Amino acid sequence: MIIKIPPYLKKGDTIGITCPAGYMDATKAQTCITTLQSWGFDVMVGKTLGSKSKNYFSGTDEERADELQAMLDDENINAILFGRGGYGMGRIIDRLDFTKFKKKPKWVIGFSDITILHAHLYTRIKTASLHAPMAAAFNEGENEFIQSLHKAMLGKKAKYNCAAHAFNKPGNITAELVGGNLSLLAHIIGTPSDINTKNKILFIEDIGEQIYNTDRMLYQLKRSGKLENLAGLIVGGFTDMKDTERPFGKNIYEVIEEITAPYNYPVAFGFPVSHGKENYALKIGVNYTLKVSKTKTQLSEV
Amino acid sequence: MKRKHFLSSFIPLAASLGAVARGKTPPDDSPVVKPPYLKAGDTVGICCPAGFITTEDIQPALVKLKEWGFNARIGETVGKKDFTYGGTDDERLNDLQQMLDDKSIKAILFARGGYGGVRIIDRLNFKKFDRDPKWIIGFSDATVFHSHINEKYRVATIHSKMCNSFPSDWNTAEPAQKETIESINKCLKGERMKYLFTPNEKNKTGIAVGELVGGNLKTLESLAGSASDIHTKDKILFVEDTGEYLYSIDRMFWNLKRSGKLDKLKGLIVGGFKIKADTPGEEFGKTIEDIVLEKVAGYSYPVCFDFPVGHQKNNFALKCGAMHTLGVHLNECRLTEV
Repeated sequence: MIIKIPPYLKKGDTIGITCPAGYMDATKAQTCITTLQSWGFDVMVGKTLGSKSKNYFSGTDEERADELQAMLDDENINAILFGRGGYGMGRIIDRLDFTKFKKKPKWVIGFSDITILHAHLYTRIKTASLHAPMAAAFNEGENEFIQSLHKAMLGKKAKYNCAAHAFNKPGNITAELVGGNLSLLAHIIGTPSDINTKNKILFIEDIGEQIYNTDRMLYQLKRSGKLENLAGLIVGGFTDMKDTERPFGKNIYEVIEEITAPYNYPVAFGFPVSHGKENYALKIGVNYTLKVSKTKTQLSEV
Repeated sequence: MKRKHFLSSFIPLAASLGAVARGKTPPDDSPVVKPPYLKAGDTVGICCPAGFITTEDIQPALVKLKEWGFNARIGETVGKKDFTYGGTDDERLNDLQQMLDDKSIKAILFARGGYGGVRIIDRLNFKKFDRDPKWIIGFSDATVFHSHINEKYRVATIHSKMCNSFPSDWNTAEPAQKETIESINKCLKGERMKYLFTPNEKNKTGIAVGELVGGNLKTLESLAGSASDIHTKDKILFVEDTGEYLYSIDRMFWNLKRSGKLDKLKGLIVGGFKIKADTPGEEFGKTIEDIVLEKVAGYSYPVCFDFPVGHQKNNFALKCGAMHTLGVHLNECRLTEV
């Protein structure tokens, strides 16, 4: 399967900001807008950011779908950066028409709930997309993770290093990168947006989940054949994990170590992809080399 | 030889069609076999395939089983504890395996749900069970077993309360509690089940006949794509859940819809949904009825709400896999085993 790489951005290009899921106050995106402008981009802000919505969502399904559709179709918009995740992409994904996007692909940037769109673009539209910090993360300052997004937009090949973890399984492989939020990856199994993970490097992260529920999701991945034929596995941050009153007895990394024990591919724990500040920009559908050794983990774009 | 060649050239194609390959094997539509019903003197095994329970906590169930005329065989996992589980994976597996294989045990009542069924399901050997089926009884996490057994072995199972729901004092128990517990006995003894329940004004009326399948919605979602995934075509699907946010329930119904589990149903039964309250200011803004009706808009089959199944006192025993008639009318709702 050949994955199309959208054109990288150059100064003067326009980035659209829209909220396809949860509500976001406009002030929370201000630093992001200013930063993007300082990078030399024009910014077009959709009405879903700071909308008049009174409930959880940033607008009705129709409003959110229409705005995203318009940004997907508008040739003057060169990339789409989502304001935030939350929940809602799954409600509108089947309404989106990718005909124009397929002909003129552009970078779509986000994570968490956006995992559905990443997977959908990868499986159905065969186009690469950017798993990266969204608007609110810019409020943390222009740290290396925000910078990694900037570099990714410009087409600079990434080389990420992180510390070794005691559970790591060493290895050195090159393959296409897929993944995202574990809850969403499990949720789309059986749907048209589901991803084939065979011979891929899979990365996973999650937030606020019960350990037992994460165990169950990993079993779902395993039982649906998504773990056995991986090229490699990258375990990102599992932040704000919750435990049951009667403790589960394992932490999340122990759970993952146990379920991947039968496999020989390299596994890297503690990679900076997460709902925390540590969240490097990763191109889904693009080839990376994953080197896991006793001393460090390195993920470099081919 | 030719056929062999055809098959081998066909398989890679099928595999490449679906990232979803495993859950999409053609459904086995052979009729479901009902295990032999129980009579006085028969033995019911009790074990913990998932969460932990104390020996004391199964006493009320033992009293009832005796009253119904059954002997109880208490498995080794009852009273065992490995953190949240009723024993290690191996211990839970061995206990259940033994009960599946033991011909003198005519039904297996799970002590409780929790989490853990999916950790052992692929290691269980159903060979003897397939030859000499027996009733498997439980709900919640036990949905793994209902779904797996229906899909792979076409054997009926009982979706009902477990040992931890039997009231310790029968005399002070609420009528709904007594009635639902007694419904397990009726189920086991072969009574044709009949349920009358109150209409909800959001119901979609109609009559359906089909095989009854379903269980805990979260568990059903977590089986998608696996060998235990259920086919819902021409079936009456029932779902219930507890402790989930509305957004999460919405997402689970999208999973059912997007994986093609809603479009060919004969009927949909929505049981109890205990909802986790939204964060103030971030209200989801839709009710369970809204969430469901939105997903089934365009389908003409009957849909009913408030069916007495779920993590609640009003949780009647249902025979999964058995043919049922669902009648959803303005003044009356009825589910009847055919």
